[in-house]
Amino acid sequence: MEATLPRTTFTKENAAFPFCKGCGHHHYVKHLDEAFVSLQLDPKQVCIVSDIGCIGILDSLFAEPHTFHTTHGRSTAFATGIALADGILHDAKLKTVVVIGDGGATIGLLHLVNAALMNIDVTVVLANNFLYGMTGGQHSQFSPLEFVTPTTPAGNIVPPMDICSIMKSCGATYIRQASATDKNLGTIIGEAIAHPGFAIVEVLELCTEWATPFNKIDGKMLTGSVHHNDSGGVPERKDFSSLYKEKVLGAPKRPSDDTIVPHYTSPLRGSRRIVLAGTAGEKVQLASFLYMKSAIASGLHATQKNDNPVTQGSGFSLSELCVSSDDILYTGIDRPDAVIIASADGLKEVRANGTLARCTPDSIVVAEQTLPEFECAGKVSRLPLRAVCTGSRAALSALAALNVAKGWVSQDALWEMIDGKFKEKSAAFHRDIEALMPFIKI
Amino acid sequence: MVPSSIKIRTGNQMIAEGALHAGCQFFAGYPITPASGVYKAMIEQLPQRNGVAISAPDEISALAYCVGASGRGVKAMTASSGPGWSLMIETVQYALMTELPVVIALVQRLGPSTGGATQNGQADILFTEFCTSGGYTIPIFAPSTPQECYEVATIAFHWAEQLRTPVIILSDKEVGMMSEDVDFALLKGVPPSERALFRGGNGAQHLTYDFEELSDVPLFAPVGGADKVTMTGSAHDKKGTLQKNSKETIDVLVHLQAKIDARKEAMSIVRLDDAGPADTLLISFGITARTAREAVRRARQDGKKVRNANVISLFPVPEQALIAAAAGVRRVVIAEENMTGQYRSVLRSLFPQTEVVGVNTVGTMITPNDILNALV
Repeated sequence: MEATLPRTTFTKENAAFPFCKGCGHHHYVKHLDEAFVSLQLDPKQVCIVSDIGCIGILDSLFAEPHTFHTTHGRSTAFATGIALADGILHDAKLKTVVVIGDGGATIGLLHLVNAALMNIDVTVVLANNFLYGMTGGQHSQFSPLEFVTPTTPAGNIVPPMDICSIMKSCGATYIRQASATDKNLGTIIGEAIAHPGFAIVEVLELCTEWATPFNKIDGKMLTGSVHHNDSGGVPERKDFSSLYKEKVLGAPKRPSDDTIVPHYTSPLRGSRRIVLAGTAGEKVQLASFLYMKSAIASGLHATQKNDNPVTQGSGFSLSELCVSSDDILYTGIDRPDAVIIASADGLKEVRANGTLARCTPDSIVVAEQTLPEFECAGKVSRLPLRAVCTGSRAALSALAALNVAKGWVSQDALWEMIDGKFKEKSAAFHRDIEALMPFIKI
Repeated sequence: MVPSSIKIRTGNQMIAEGALHAGCQFFAGYPITPASGVYKAMIEQLPQRNGVAISAPDEISALAYCVGASGRGVKAMTASSGPGWSLMIETVQYALMTELPVVIALVQRLGPSTGGATQNGQADILFTEFCTSGGYTIPIFAPSTPQECYEVATIAFHWAEQLRTPVIILSDKEVGMMSEDVDFALLKGVPPSERALFRGGNGAQHLTYDFEELSDVPLFAPVGGADKVTMTGSAHDKKGTLQKNSKETIDVLVHLQAKIDARKEAMSIVRLDDAGPADTLLISFGITARTAREAVRRARQDGKKVRNANVISLFPVPEQALIAAAAGVRRVVIAEENMTGQYRSVLRSLFPQTEVVGVNTVGTMITPNDILNALV
């Protein structure tokens, strides 16, 4: 059998590099190619995800690997999506390599941070030439102190970002730094690609157009400034896709059945619109939900919408309910059929949102006994809700008592929902209703 | 006991149900009221079907993860609201330019800026549609009920995959967060649809953005597959090579719009309630469409002659259906919960001979009475 000759390059034959004379990107491309060759990768299982900037145009130099030329700084985020889909939903064979400059790494820093935290199986090869070369040599957040550029004519006065330290603090499991002329760079990049999980290689480069003419900087200085030459003991851990398959997809499936069987009936014709107002944490919205469920179990249609302040666990809690024998079209409440006010927070809110002002003489208002007087056109019943039920049962017990009086939904259905939800504790609701009924004036 | 298929669901949950029906395999989300319900439902349900539902550190990442996954060949969705959409606009343009299908569910809240997280709005119509540098049509579908959320999600995936373009489900807080009884046996949706794949053969070479007619949709090959893929958000030829202004590059740019325009009528969905000759055509969408149905019911009881058009496909504008619906009416009333009549500004030119009137509110729902007062 004829042996397949090893692949000697992944770049296009006689590819003319589009970079300036002496630019470090020449070395970068050569070493990236060396890495691919050293691993003898199947080019169709390589995806180069490139960013914006001079380095970003290197994708055109590679003949067979897939290329994704992206928006500025976002390359790592697109690569993360590719790697997740490949690692979890496909065969996890794709090698995803991000080609990004120092500008892209700055504007897209969060994408690098999150990829490192997640330990996504992506390799980032960061070409750091300390400036924005393509747009006129403006300094970057990677420029050293004293660095002279068109935007730092007096020298840079802000210290540079140390990306390797940032990546280390994010738990990156492979971090290396090397100068573009380092003979071992191809080997390092190859190691990074072979590494399962997130890997980053920072390549220090010279921009011959904008850096060397104005600064005393040369290759030796770059080599001398390399200080991240090992991973610094960051422990190995499983990559995100492997963990996701194991922990999330591997968890037992939880079939759920929350269908409601309408096996009760209701005499209601038309619709009733109810507002429940109380205090967060006192089961106002749960009361509304159980009433909605019992309405549906009674063969009715129902809608429920809730409201609360920005902080969900404090202040008022409000729920608007509509139960109807017909399809519910308009979902607002212009004239409430009933309003339940279980606490001072609730009163404040139904005043503020106009619910009380929208009551008509036909509206039934069930309010906690101790609340101050309020103006309302409806028929107001004052109940010792909080004394009898405590806050946590006040809204639901008031609603259940109202239903005993009006029979809008099947009371049997409502008890089924309350008993089902509260189990042995539901007896308290039965006692509440008995105590409250004498106070309801309807 | 008689078997039942009735469940309590929000519009947000039904977008997730529709996405699952459509074969969505990848979801990346970032929390935001009032869209978080989609995110939560996908996190709960997608892994149950061996799909991926993950948390992103921001909305930029969320959409970029989805677009990357789409490039690997899977159906993907994210969900957000106005403030998150602001951050996604860069990436939705990338998806449009690279012809990568993705569905974005946007649940509108009160703007501008962080606005009112738990207050409704229908004021992101123009903001959502006209978000591309270069001016391209992004298909937008607007549901008015949980049932329509399901249906629209299946339609959004269908067109995203068929057209290889981002498609938006434009819901609103009222539709998204309200719970309602939903009979799953009565749900309507289009069957799952797959993007057309490049299959090679006969020495055919894959070009990432190949087409013969400008309106053709290029055959898709995933990254990681046997055929080289060259994705780029920069102006490119059919192969995906960066170009400035060669004829082929301009053709590619024109093609991105032509493929949408050619299917404008096929995408058109207007639910028309036509009771014969009418004085008024009432147009609405989203939560206001429900209010409009109630208003029309009452108006007809009062003997008024109203035709009601609930627009589902906001963009491309369903011009033919709306022009036909306006036949013979004296007034067109367009009800939408925003200050300036955003969709009215888009539709006005369709009715040059007819009085066009807006019903608008800000921060409060439009009521049936608001609409009744505007009818002939």
